[in-house]
Amino acid sequence: MTASTPISLALALDVYLPVGIVVAMAILFAVFNLIATKLLGPSRSGQTKGITYESGMNPVGTARKRFNVRFYILAMTFLVFDVEIIFLYPWAVGYSQLTPRSPEATLFLGRIMFFLAASVVAYLYAWRKGVFRWE
Amino acid sequence: MTSLSLHAASLAAMASDQASAAVPAAVAAPQLAWAGWILWLPLLSTIACCLCAAFRVRGKAPAVITVAALAGSFALTLALYGKVQHGPVRIHLFDWIDLSWGSGAGINSLTANFALYIDSLTLIWMLFVTPLGTLIALYASEYMEGDLPARGGRGYARFFAGVSIFLFAMGSLVMADNLVMLYLGWEGVGFASYLLIGYYYTRPSAVYAAKKAFIMNRIGDLGLAAGIWLIWLNFGTVEYEGLFQALAQAGSDESVGGWSVKAIPFLLMLGAFGKSAQLPLYVWLPDAMEGPTPVSALIHAATMVTAGVYLVARMYPAFLLHELALPTVAWVGGLTALLAATIGMAQYDIKRIMAYSTVSQLGYMFMGLGVMTSFGAVYHVFTHAFFKAVLFLTCGAIMHGFAGQLDLRKLSGLRRLPGWKITAWTMFVGCLCLAGVPGSSGYFSKDAILAQAFVTPTPDGAWSFRLLGWLALFTAGLTAYYTFRVWFRVCAGPVHFEAGDEHHGADHEPAHQAGHAGHDAHGGHDHGGDFHPHAPRLAINFVLVALAVGAVLAAIPYFWPAYGDGWIQQMVSHSSAAAGVPSHGAEGAASAAGEHGGSHATLLGFDPHTAMYVVSSVFGLVGIGFAAWLHLLNRKAADALRARLLANPLTRWLPTAMENKWYVDELYIAAIRKPLWFCGHLFALFDRYIIDGVLVDGTARLPKALGRLFQPLQSGALQGYAVTMAGGIGLILAWVVWVWMRGMAL
Amino acid sequence: MTDVVAKLQTLVPEVTLLVGAVLAALLGLSRRKQVRDAVPWVTIATLLAAMVAVPFFNQLDGTTAAGLLMPMLGGTFKLGILAVAVLLCLLTVGLVDRRLEQAFATGRAPFDAMRTIRGEFYAFFLLSITGLSLVCSARDLVWLFLALELTSLPTYIMVALSRGSRRAQEAAVKYFFLGAMASAVFLYGFALLYGATGTLVLTDMRGTFALQASTGGVSNLAVIGMILTVLGLCFKIAAAPMHFYAADVYEGAAAPVTAFLAFVPKAAGMLALMLLLGTMGWSGHSMIVDSIGFRQPIEGLPQPVVTVLWMIATLTMTLGNVGALLQRSVKRMLAYSSIAHSGYMLIGIIAGPTTGLAAVLFYLFAYGIMNTAAFAVLAGLERRGEEIESLDDLAGLRQRHPGMSVVMALAAGSLMGLPPLLGFWGKLYLFIAGVQAGHVPLVVIAAVNSAIAAWYYLRLVGLPILSRPSPQSETIGNGLSVWPRVAGVLGAVGVIVLPLLLRPMFDTAALAVSGYAKADSPTAPAGTLAAKALASESLASEALASEQESAD
Repeated sequence: MTASTPISLALALDVYLPVGIVVAMAILFAVFNLIATKLLGPSRSGQTKGITYESGMNPVGTARKRFNVRFYILAMTFLVFDVEIIFLYPWAVGYSQLTPRSPEATLFLGRIMFFLAASVVAYLYAWRKGVFRWE
Repeated sequence: MTSLSLHAASLAAMASDQASAAVPAAVAAPQLAWAGWILWLPLLSTIACCLCAAFRVRGKAPAVITVAALAGSFALTLALYGKVQHGPVRIHLFDWIDLSWGSGAGINSLTANFALYIDSLTLIWMLFVTPLGTLIALYASEYMEGDLPARGGRGYARFFAGVSIFLFAMGSLVMADNLVMLYLGWEGVGFASYLLIGYYYTRPSAVYAAKKAFIMNRIGDLGLAAGIWLIWLNFGTVEYEGLFQALAQAGSDESVGGWSVKAIPFLLMLGAFGKSAQLPLYVWLPDAMEGPTPVSALIHAATMVTAGVYLVARMYPAFLLHELALPTVAWVGGLTALLAATIGMAQYDIKRIMAYSTVSQLGYMFMGLGVMTSFGAVYHVFTHAFFKAVLFLTCGAIMHGFAGQLDLRKLSGLRRLPGWKITAWTMFVGCLCLAGVPGSSGYFSKDAILAQAFVTPTPDGAWSFRLLGWLALFTAGLTAYYTFRVWFRVCAGPVHFEAGDEHHGADHEPAHQAGHAGHDAHGGHDHGGDFHPHAPRLAINFVLVALAVGAVLAAIPYFWPAYGDGWIQQMVSHSSAAAGVPSHGAEGAASAAGEHGGSHATLLGFDPHTAMYVVSSVFGLVGIGFAAWLHLLNRKAADALRARLLANPLTRWLPTAMENKWYVDELYIAAIRKPLWFCGHLFALFDRYIIDGVLVDGTARLPKALGRLFQPLQSGALQGYAVTMAGGIGLILAWVVWVWMRGMAL
Repeated sequence: MTDVVAKLQTLVPEVTLLVGAVLAALLGLSRRKQVRDAVPWVTIATLLAAMVAVPFFNQLDGTTAAGLLMPMLGGTFKLGILAVAVLLCLLTVGLVDRRLEQAFATGRAPFDAMRTIRGEFYAFFLLSITGLSLVCSARDLVWLFLALELTSLPTYIMVALSRGSRRAQEAAVKYFFLGAMASAVFLYGFALLYGATGTLVLTDMRGTFALQASTGGVSNLAVIGMILTVLGLCFKIAAAPMHFYAADVYEGAAAPVTAFLAFVPKAAGMLALMLLLGTMGWSGHSMIVDSIGFRQPIEGLPQPVVTVLWMIATLTMTLGNVGALLQRSVKRMLAYSSIAHSGYMLIGIIAGPTTGLAAVLFYLFAYGIMNTAAFAVLAGLERRGEEIESLDDLAGLRQRHPGMSVVMALAAGSLMGLPPLLGFWGKLYLFIAGVQAGHVPLVVIAAVNSAIAAWYYLRLVGLPILSRPSPQSETIGNGLSVWPRVAGVLGAVGVIVLPLLLRPMFDTAALAVSGYAKADSPTAPAGTLAAKALASESLASEALASEQESAD
């Protein structure tokens, strides 16, 4: 992190007044709508009104169904690589513009190497943990 | 505010001889840091003994370790004496307490490092504490055999751990560089004493005695602690070095005063009286004999109980802060000596007689300090340590050999029993010294005190020192009587003995059950007849002889290297104990007449120091004569005398009161314990019904009520906690903003 | 480049811990029991290696020290953290996954890498310590936030892993959600502090606050931000009003983890408080050169912040001690006692440099030792595989477990503040610092609280030593592993022996915060420019620019 110049801003709370007004307006709008529908609209209820899809198929079973935990584990392992790729792209683009063998380039390389090493460790861990077995 | 130095000034005028100047400044001596091992060796020995206890070592290893460590301490003390001579030097061991706060003129600091202040007074004390500790530990190695794990005992290692930690604490007390470290040692010896008095913790009487000693000492310690606090408050330091300078200035500075300064000597005195068993706090010491005899000899006769004397001698300059401080010390000492001697006369338990004689002799020491012969007091501490150790250890040997028998009516003619000769004759030597028979060490040290009582003029407002002197002389006669009463009864006369009752005797030590297992195996255990006393063996005999020789030789420092200006005299005059005391030449008998030359300070028309040699001899010999008549030549006469006194309604109270120790214990129980007990019960009721019933239960109900109020939030539900926390944050923020907006000061 | 290397060098201890965490995570998955059993010792070895590394790699030169508010903090207090961490780690040996390992060993269950938790537990242990260690050397708010989260996140999982019961999982969930809420609170505080100063670097913030103080007072935004930050951090130190979780979570977790929770997040929170309050400075300690060139004292902590700290300290002590009075469970009692101790430590925080902060550091160390010893008794004994919990279990412990009863008595005595023991000196320093700083009423409140606390601590001293064994305590046996008891004995010995090293320890603590006091005149770069900028609106965009700059 480069040392940014500290700047004193005489920020009193009044600077945030517009933000506060917007927030208040948003809340008021929502509350107003809710109250308005309650007051103005007719309120009816019945069996037909209560079903999930009023004019579609009837739902079967509960939506709160359990998935096998392996899906989650695999998904998380996938994330490790996914995130790695996301980081590698901008790195590769930036690295090509640095002077070769300059200190900055070495530092850049060192950083990504550390990151890759961390990913490898995570991969090794997942492997030993038996994430990739599906029985 | 002239009174501060009044006492000293009057002395100076009397002796045309200025009072000794302030205590000499101490030199830092980092090269002597090895002296710390005088303390560390006993400490290591404590740890080693604890380990022995933890690992259930079966042999005598704890005794060997303790004796070796204490002998090492003694050797180091000798080496230190060789290096330092008079001192004073300060040896810094490590930083301990060093606080400072405030700033500018208001800066306060409290410095109390773990350091040693070695001067001649320290050295005298260490030179008898360490060898006595070594010898008595050696004695105990045989005496405590019954508690060896091999014989089914459990306390051998515990005993030596206690002895070692005592020596560590005593060393810290004596060699301390400041009052806080002294206090640490002071509490440490009290703690060790508590542990060792209660050594036979299965016996209720021992537990009771241990508690009594501890509590009595706490009263005194409170005084000491308050005294140290006041010293720090008034003089800003607790280190001797700075303190003595400050006290020397206070002596000449008119502006120093106020009750908080005046109270210092009296508070310190309270501490000293508690530790050294003086009126009114002496009652714990006779009961402390519940501990094993070596403990009685080491802690409750020779060393720990002299800590009070040491405190007064060490803080002598502080005792000049009030003109009546030293006279109070003198009179308390003198009265204690008389009271304890009269009680000792009428007791039958020889160990208890020795205990009262210790109280009495300590009284002499305080009297010596009070009448401004710190030399006499210190010298008496020195000689007393040796001869009283001998006396206690012979009592212990007798108790050990006769299955706990200590009643002098049931023991007789020991010197004619095979194997008991050494015990009998070393006891004789001890008795000679205690009785102050001419030529013995006790004779010279006691005379130095008695004579000074007639020399030192009585300060205004105090009771006459001359009266005190006569009282003390009378006490000396009583001392000679009760001392030889013991010896004539126990060691002289026809051979006759009864074994102690091992199963009921109050002074019986469980050690003997194991020790006499062999005897019990042959045909039961009868009193008299079949009982075979077992005479002391090598270690005990060696220690008895060594101590008896020491007791005899203790007379030498009075004459050597110069008559009347002996080694002890020179040592004392170089320490803080000499502050305000006329220079030592005035005390020597030879030079006294020439220097005093006044019409005052005479005893029967002679110079007191010269006359005292004769007068005290007469008192002593008369006492011994009475003892010989009543207890050796015509023992029936003693019983007849007692019977006649009891028969006469006018005199009946005298023997009864003396045998019952003047009912002091009963008085304390009635006047202090019972009311406290009553108050305690009252407070307990108050506590139960008002505090517990109304306040505590009421207060406890309040949170419960609050809890019920907030029950939905505190049910352990996550949401509840989250809402409460958020609510707390919200409340605080709202409060801040609200107060702020209203422009109020937060 | 060299700048980066120099900065990285100061982080060698943390890197060591990180490598150890990776090792522990991987080794813990081994099929071989010997390797798995070695994991706690790898952890301890890592801690010791980091301890060795601390003095070697903490030679600060101008560049590395420049950005640090308290440059000496890392090189000194890390040693204390790591020493306590070694004790804490001993406490866990053989306890965390006992059932599982027993099942593997007896063949009741085949080894299952998915179910074993040994590696994870110790890896998280080390990661949490790494986070705490990083708090010591924080340079800016982002670093501080990440370090605090690194300290806390592993602890949530450690609670869940610590024992297989649903209580532990319930505790972990509570701890996690409430912790996240607290993090949100202090993160919002950080944001407001940034908004008020336009910088994230602590030293620069200090300069800005000094400037604001000398020209009309610290901005209101910063005051609100600081109060929010303090309130958020109260969660970490278990102080009111964020203390509600403590009893439940401490009770739910296994004893070794509870000991961990009582020390590590608390230390992190205290250190963070010291650093953050340090940006505003304590009254009378900071000077500033004004535009004319005169040195003037700056105002220091704004009064609202001090008042809030006062309220928190008082509430925390009182609620903690009163709460502890009513408990029958030892762990709940110690949880409330932990709350109360935070209140005592806040006195030092309020008192400020040098004595107050040094006293806090000293007390943290002392608290770590004595609290670990107390929990070691709970961890080292068990009844048929269950932890001992209630006070009745402790009654008459001396008969069957004399050593542990003495450890408990010493630990409780020290927590109470019994004179020769370590805790007494810690408390004494705190109180002295409080009196010096002029907060006498606060110290009086703390003293009254100590007296209240004596009541329940004395029960912990008295029950094991004096009372008769209860039917419950008769059935208590030694735990499987001897090491928790060893940790207890070590802690108890420390409680007795460490007071002998009082001076060197306190001097070290004073040294740790001395860098702050020395930096008397905070840098006020371009003073006049900034003064002019006070009125200028245009600088807001500049602040935005510098923020972007600092983001990469």
